[in-house]
Amino acid sequence: MKKLSTFIFFFIVYQNVLAQLNSGSRLTALGNASVAMEDVWSATANQAGLAALAHPEIAAAYENRFGLQELSTKSAVFAIPIKNYVLATSFISYGVESYSESKSSLSLARKLGPKLHLALALNYHQLRINQYGNAKSFSFEAGVQYQLNKSVVLASHIANPNQSEFGNLTEEVIPAHIQFGMSYWLSKQLIICTEIEKILDKEVDFKSGLEYQIADFLALRGGLNMNPFKQYFGFGLNYQQVKLDFALSSHPTLGYSPQISLGYVF
Amino acid sequence: MMILWSCFAAYSFGQQSSDPVIENIIETLAANQSEDFDYSELIDRLNNYRKNKINLNKTSREQLQELYFLNPLQINALLDHIAVNGKLIHVLELQSIDGFDLETIQRLLYFADINTPSGFENFSFKKLFKDGRNDLMLRYNRYLETPYSYTIPDTSSKSRYLGTPERLYTRYRFSFSNNIQFSLNLEKDPGEKIWNNSDRQSGPDFVSSSLYIKDLRRFKKIVVGDFALQFGQGLTLWSGLSFGKGADIFSVAKQDLGLRPYTSVNEFSFFRGLATQINFGRFDFTPFISSIRLDAGIDLNPLTNAEDISALQQTGLHRTANELNNKGRIAQTVYGGNLQFNEGKLSLGLTAYHSHYSQNFAPGNSLYNQFDFSGNQLNNVGFNYSYTYRNTYFFGEIGHSLNSGLAYVNGLMSSLSPTVSLVLFYRNYQKDYFSFYNQGISEGSNAVNEKGFYSGLQIKPDRKLEINFYADVFKFPWLKFRVDAPSNGYDVFSQLSYLPSKTTRLTFRYQFQNKQQNADRNTVTDVLGFVKKSNYRAEMAYQINKAFSLRNRVEMVQYHEEDAKIRYGFLAYQDVNYHPLSARLSGNMRFALFQTDGFDTRIYAYENDVLYGFSIPAFQNKGVRFYLNARYNLKRGVDFWLKYSYTQYNDQTSVGSGLDLIQGNHRSELKAQVRFQF
Repeated sequence: MKKLSTFIFFFIVYQNVLAQLNSGSRLTALGNASVAMEDVWSATANQAGLAALAHPEIAAAYENRFGLQELSTKSAVFAIPIKNYVLATSFISYGVESYSESKSSLSLARKLGPKLHLALALNYHQLRINQYGNAKSFSFEAGVQYQLNKSVVLASHIANPNQSEFGNLTEEVIPAHIQFGMSYWLSKQLIICTEIEKILDKEVDFKSGLEYQIADFLALRGGLNMNPFKQYFGFGLNYQQVKLDFALSSHPTLGYSPQISLGYVF
Repeated sequence: MMILWSCFAAYSFGQQSSDPVIENIIETLAANQSEDFDYSELIDRLNNYRKNKINLNKTSREQLQELYFLNPLQINALLDHIAVNGKLIHVLELQSIDGFDLETIQRLLYFADINTPSGFENFSFKKLFKDGRNDLMLRYNRYLETPYSYTIPDTSSKSRYLGTPERLYTRYRFSFSNNIQFSLNLEKDPGEKIWNNSDRQSGPDFVSSSLYIKDLRRFKKIVVGDFALQFGQGLTLWSGLSFGKGADIFSVAKQDLGLRPYTSVNEFSFFRGLATQINFGRFDFTPFISSIRLDAGIDLNPLTNAEDISALQQTGLHRTANELNNKGRIAQTVYGGNLQFNEGKLSLGLTAYHSHYSQNFAPGNSLYNQFDFSGNQLNNVGFNYSYTYRNTYFFGEIGHSLNSGLAYVNGLMSSLSPTVSLVLFYRNYQKDYFSFYNQGISEGSNAVNEKGFYSGLQIKPDRKLEINFYADVFKFPWLKFRVDAPSNGYDVFSQLSYLPSKTTRLTFRYQFQNKQQNADRNTVTDVLGFVKKSNYRAEMAYQINKAFSLRNRVEMVQYHEEDAKIRYGFLAYQDVNYHPLSARLSGNMRFALFQTDGFDTRIYAYENDVLYGFSIPAFQNKGVRFYLNARYNLKRGVDFWLKYSYTQYNDQTSVGSGLDLIQGNHRSELKAQVRFQF
């Protein structure tokens, strides 16, 4: 009984926020301050970050939110550079058999000159509640990154600007949001990223993260969100073409959420 | 190079008479202190080093720690640099040391040099009296209006102040180089008698004295009289001056100074007796013994019918018959020692001591304080460490009160790149951990019943810009006063300083705190509600010519208690500083406007004062404040100070409360001080 009520509680607290919530362990450990970052997981954050990709890359992640199996998120992403473009697909699924949400996306990113990256993404959302039915919808996202100088990248990203919804079946909405931020390389080993995010009907959130490449094969990461207040910690291991990342996020009331992701660069 | 050099020059000439450098250091450190704390010990030490500069080529880690503004990474880098490259030949060499930015170097050279005489090298008794320095200072201050207490007739049985309304402070120092220091303080607070004549004490209200000898053969330090002890991270044994979270993100790593003479007039948290630090190669042993009388309130224990200590009193005020009765009511004996091992970048310490009180502490009678200390004796042990590996400094301490709880902290400080430093700090203090000298970093007023994680970041992208940021998350596993359930919260701080030129500084600060306390609702049992407090500050300081500098600040507080209306506080002030190069007269003045919705939105602002009279008053309600502070140098070695301040409160017919209540809407204070140096 207790488990069920916690379960319901989490749904109430955490519905509607799927879209921005799983971007692989590296970007998660940076407090999801990912708008100005370049990573294969940019496919689920700011797709403009994909444009810098030089080789095809595949990755998958699993998050166990607040230690509850019912709240696990699975995601996968694949990206391939083709001439001046980078094409990527991603898939996120959240929930259990009785309640599940998923999002599949197709993104296209392009370099415009040496400094500017642009991207567009088309998403297909599915919501399924047992014995109630299914709902489907489409939405789109757009992102831009601009290399201000050798060490600073400015970026912004919007999602679902036309506020598409699931229709009359449910009041569940696909969040419309806007993010902008900056990443700053302070040395070859150290990057700090920040992001301001506004989701419609929610308070503004300020996010920041730090990654420190302590050795060639090991990176340490940390991040913070202000609203709601959350702390993040993580590390990443590189071995030849394989990447293994781990992230732990901590909410003062709800507890810890571990996440792991594995990637391969072709 | 030339620019840097001219900066040093500006520092060493422009600011002879007052000390913006010292003020700046203390203000950074003191962000979270109560308003009437006595910082004279620190001001004294910094002033002393200004006159007797530290010789960087002969200095020690401990001496550099005494400056407070150097963090452990910088100290290690400096000592490393000297060990590897030999003696510093020119001060410009400091620029090449990791972590030494322009401001740090300027500050350091204000108190240190690369070639100054030090120590007993040229000691003789003849010289002791010839080269010894005497410093005598007298201070008088009082409110010019008459407080309510003095309108009560002597014959009345009502509680009233038995002494005179002024504060008197006499301070005498004798020092020879940095090696022998004698200190004597006499003080009475407003309302206290000049001369007490009671069973327990006859004489001035507060007398404190110490003789301090340094570097006498094996004895690195000897203190006879009043002393303070500071070991490790402050969990087990740390008395006297201590700083918590503040604008300096490195301050969570405490830098222990071990044995110190006690020279402040805070009438609490010091020892009286004998202590020494003896050096045996890599080991330092510091034994001590102290016996002192403490102020305490007394309750009758309903079970044993004996008198129990209800609370120790830390204010040091003995004005009414009742306060005088509590003065020195119980005797405290403390003895123990510390053993420190230093080898290169590794430092380990072991502390153990016993404290005994002449009466029992009463057990707590509420749910929230039921784990408080009771009984009349306590044994404490603690272990602390620090170690530097490459660009990272690790530190920590574990403390245990025998037969009760445990407390520990662990932290690290790392320079991730030449422009970025990181601090991580974890603390865990059990609810039944007792130490009367526990000053660990904490959110609560005592380092007990608390867990927390602090992360701080300092970024200096170039020499003009500095960003300090920290986030601290904490939990209180047991109840607290006015918090009837386990609670948690967090505290976020950020500050940006911009120095467009060497005489201009802009500072922006934002702090947000979110805590829980009993909500103001009509429910059967208390429930917790959040309390959110935001603080915004902008400040600008600039020099307009060689004599005048200006400074202004605006600050706003927003206080939001669950279910209550949001309350605001506002403060703005303008300072004018006048410090000509070689005139006898210097001074400063301030005009401040404040408007706050009561106590919770009060705003603290440091203000200039007479020498050693550092103050950080709180502004609340609505009104204006003005002060004028001047120093006049009569001749070499004789200085006068005078400060007059006037605060007017709009919409009020009285100021203050209780026996301090003043009729009318204003309060003014006069402070006069004279110092003889010979």
